[in-house]
Amino acid sequence: MTVYSFYIFDRHAECIYKRRWLPRPASIVGKSRSTENAAQSGQAGTGQTMRATDDDSKLVFGTVFSLRNMVRKLGGDEDNFVSFNTSQYKLHYYETPTNTKFVMLTDTKSPSMRIALQQIYINLYVEYVVKNPLSPAEHPGGVGVNNELFEESLEQFVQTRVLS
Amino acid sequence: MPSSTRTVFSLIIINKAGGLIYQREYQAGLRSLSTNDYLVLAGTFHGYDPPHNQCPLDISTSLDGIPIANEYLRHSVHAITRSITPKLPLAQTSPALTSPSGNAPVGFSYPNPGVPASGLEHLETEKFRLTCFQTLTGTKFLLFTDPMTGNVDTIMNKIYELYADYVMKNPFYQLEMPVRCEAFDRHLGAWLRGRT
Repeated sequence: MTVYSFYIFDRHAECIYKRRWLPRPASIVGKSRSTENAAQSGQAGTGQTMRATDDDSKLVFGTVFSLRNMVRKLGGDEDNFVSFNTSQYKLHYYETPTNTKFVMLTDTKSPSMRIALQQIYINLYVEYVVKNPLSPAEHPGGVGVNNELFEESLEQFVQTRVLS
Repeated sequence: MPSSTRTVFSLIIINKAGGLIYQREYQAGLRSLSTNDYLVLAGTFHGYDPPHNQCPLDISTSLDGIPIANEYLRHSVHAITRSITPKLPLAQTSPALTSPSGNAPVGFSYPNPGVPASGLEHLETEKFRLTCFQTLTGTKFLLFTDPMTGNVDTIMNKIYELYADYVMKNPFYQLEMPVRCEAFDRHLGAWLRGRT
């Protein structure tokens, strides 16, 4: 299973966290796997890459927002939009009772990540971000989740998911 | 087999301009929407998936680079789900990856090279599953089923077959107009009832 990207949106439709994972180029599979991986993810985390994907997050938000509203209209208020897939990727969605939205893009063959997103929320986001007294409750202006512990544990969580 | 595993809630047909041309409910389970909401739903799925390995970014420009009239095609949810397809950077040393992705710009490939990027195909919620099938001419069939329903593709193929037989072969049917073919209603209804 491959994870392509991960987004968190707060209740004001602001993207407060995004992360992209670049898969290893095919040519280096097998050799120096871990070091290449580290280099790749380091590159993805730099400011420039983040800015280039800024529009992406807005499009992702618009999509899940429209689809969620459509699902609510059709299935009733207690229905929840879980995932959708295209020929190229699968998008998983999880919304907390406080309207924080967790979105993850993976390859099409991946199983449902609903539980995984819930675990990220409960075990990582709540523990490291919400319970952190220094982290702001709202994120106007888009500083977003800037929390080393959260990022590290998210990285670890996704790595174990990918390998399993 | 319990009937819930074969439930088909409703069917919607959208013409290639994003207009709603057919809407029928077969089993209760989903809320019924107002006419306006159905039109909005149809518009949500407006958008055309190029059948070949076309770069999705090129779809709105003709060969001369002049935007074609359907520029807004890029702004429906269906089209946006295609445009947010993750692009994987290509390694310079792997020419094997560049060839199957056709005329995609050099520098990235899609996760499944060789398969054209499409918009939304299946949507799953806790209560229903939406399958979107696009014919080669751009007509879309949206089928709402129970999440447990298996073989949705078979159902979809049969619906398409009935549509071809009773709608497209009807000499009085005007293309792109609402489907009012009694034989289609009858046969489709009977077939779906026969399944459950």
